[in-house]
Amino acid sequence: MAAHRAQWKGHLKVGELTCAVGLYTAASTSERISFHMLNQRTGNRLKREFIDSDTEEVVEHDHQVKGFDTGNGDYIMIDPEEVAAVVPDADKMLEAEAFIPQGKVDDIYFDKPYYLAPTDDEDQDAFASIRDALVKTKATAIARTVLFRRVRTVLIRPHGRGLIATMLNFDYEVRSAKEAFKDVAKVKVEGEMLDLAKHIIGTKKGEFDPAKTDDRYETALAALVKAKSEGKTLPKPKPIQVSKPNDLLNALRESAGMAKGPSKRPKAANANSGKKAASTAKKSTAAAKTAHKKAS
Amino acid sequence: MAAGRPYWKGYLKLSLVTCPVAMSPATSESEKVRFHTLNEKTGNRVVSQYVDSVTGKPVSDEQEAKGFQRGENDYVILTDEDLESVELDTVRTIDIEKFVPRDSIDWIYLDTPFYLTVNEKIGDEAFAVIREAMKAQDMVGVSRVVLGRRERVVILEARDRGIVVWTLRFGDEVRPESEYFTGIAKKGDAKSVSELETLIKKNMTDWSPEMASDPIQDSLIKLIADKKKAKKPSSKSKSKSATKGDDDPKSNVVNIMDALKKSVANELKARKAG
Repeated sequence: MAAHRAQWKGHLKVGELTCAVGLYTAASTSERISFHMLNQRTGNRLKREFIDSDTEEVVEHDHQVKGFDTGNGDYIMIDPEEVAAVVPDADKMLEAEAFIPQGKVDDIYFDKPYYLAPTDDEDQDAFASIRDALVKTKATAIARTVLFRRVRTVLIRPHGRGLIATMLNFDYEVRSAKEAFKDVAKVKVEGEMLDLAKHIIGTKKGEFDPAKTDDRYETALAALVKAKSEGKTLPKPKPIQVSKPNDLLNALRESAGMAKGPSKRPKAANANSGKKAASTAKKSTAAAKTAHKKAS
Repeated sequence: MAAGRPYWKGYLKLSLVTCPVAMSPATSESEKVRFHTLNEKTGNRVVSQYVDSVTGKPVSDEQEAKGFQRGENDYVILTDEDLESVELDTVRTIDIEKFVPRDSIDWIYLDTPFYLTVNEKIGDEAFAVIREAMKAQDMVGVSRVVLGRRERVVILEARDRGIVVWTLRFGDEVRPESEYFTGIAKKGDAKSVSELETLIKKNMTDWSPEMASDPIQDSLIKLIADKKKAKKPSSKSKSKSATKGDDDPKSNVVNIMDALKKSVANELKARKAG
């Protein structure tokens, strides 16, 4: 823990226990592909300049100040000191204010995660006690403090031998899921369709390790760049067929059948084959079984 | 933002079932108090513009192009249309390859949430079938999709009438915890732990979005409202006493909130255009 620089240092307090801790960046975003902006006509690189929106003169950094638009193109300058005065004094204290059962916090609020670790050997016991108590009660702690010049809420949960503090988005930054989904049509999903879809999901159940993922875009882009620089015509994307409502059941049946191999494609789809299916009910796939159930 | 155009449009696919979908961010900074950069001398906005690095002349939007560096001063120019023909199905299709229990994916990998909805009437039923089956199986889907010129691994989780899509961090973006946690005591003090357990159980409560409020935002809105008032009689006046007048401060706060929203909308427009 000594090797990394803490983003924040302070104290963690739960009940009577306090310990010196640091927050360490747990995840960082790596930008992989960078393009340069060019002038299409000259082929030269572009650079950014900061200009006055009215006079169009270049504004040097020293003359750039913070301000605010009052709505009608009228701007108010604001002294950074006045803005700073709004931020309460940092007491450097992450104090657990409430505890929430694990998994009960709406995860849409999650912003950046930080590793939370003790910075003082004398506090090892206190830190481990807090961690163990959170594990035993299956709880996460909510704490608020000034982080990066804003009063932030963090969620603290045990992770291995340490703790993870997840910074939360502010309430006004999170769009309501209800609102976002309100225009999605209410569709009643029929028995067989649901059974088939569940069956398909069942056949695709697996394990997934997010740690072992890579970005394939770079390779594909390299191929594109090569094709373009060799003057080849780039392939046009193929049109995508969407499932029509009438074909949906068939698409599901075929999908369910495919999962078990082409020879066992369930065919008991209509009333005529219903009797036949009944006589050989046990040999078929789960998908065929559900199809048969409906037919009889 | 709510009624705006979607961030991404494409198709959701489960085996042979495909439906048109749209995706938009679940979080947004549009309500956040935002500052602009002004020119101290004129009080006008400062905006950025691209100039040709050799000629020094401003370059219009139409002349801007993306260049992929092949060698020194040697670029392959790529248009937006070119980029669309990158040969990856994941540019336009979220094909759910796999399903896993939700709790098998550690929170630390969750990067950015999006809301996925069906985009055309024709897909209503297919979308509902995929969503309801995930709910019934209590599984999340795993897939990939190209967003912002990177192919992201995503998980799909049914929620209400829609689907939440989370981009996941790549393996090399999450720092190894062992570098931070090795050496931390294995076990806490038994007595302290049991005391804390009692305390935690006593203070256990339900999650509420108010826990993520931003008191500084409120203070900033007030500060701006005060400045606006102070500015009226004389623009150079910096006296704070002017803000303590007898005017109804409440109505002013409401106005400033409207103004905020308006300015944010303007800025978004400007950014999209640029």
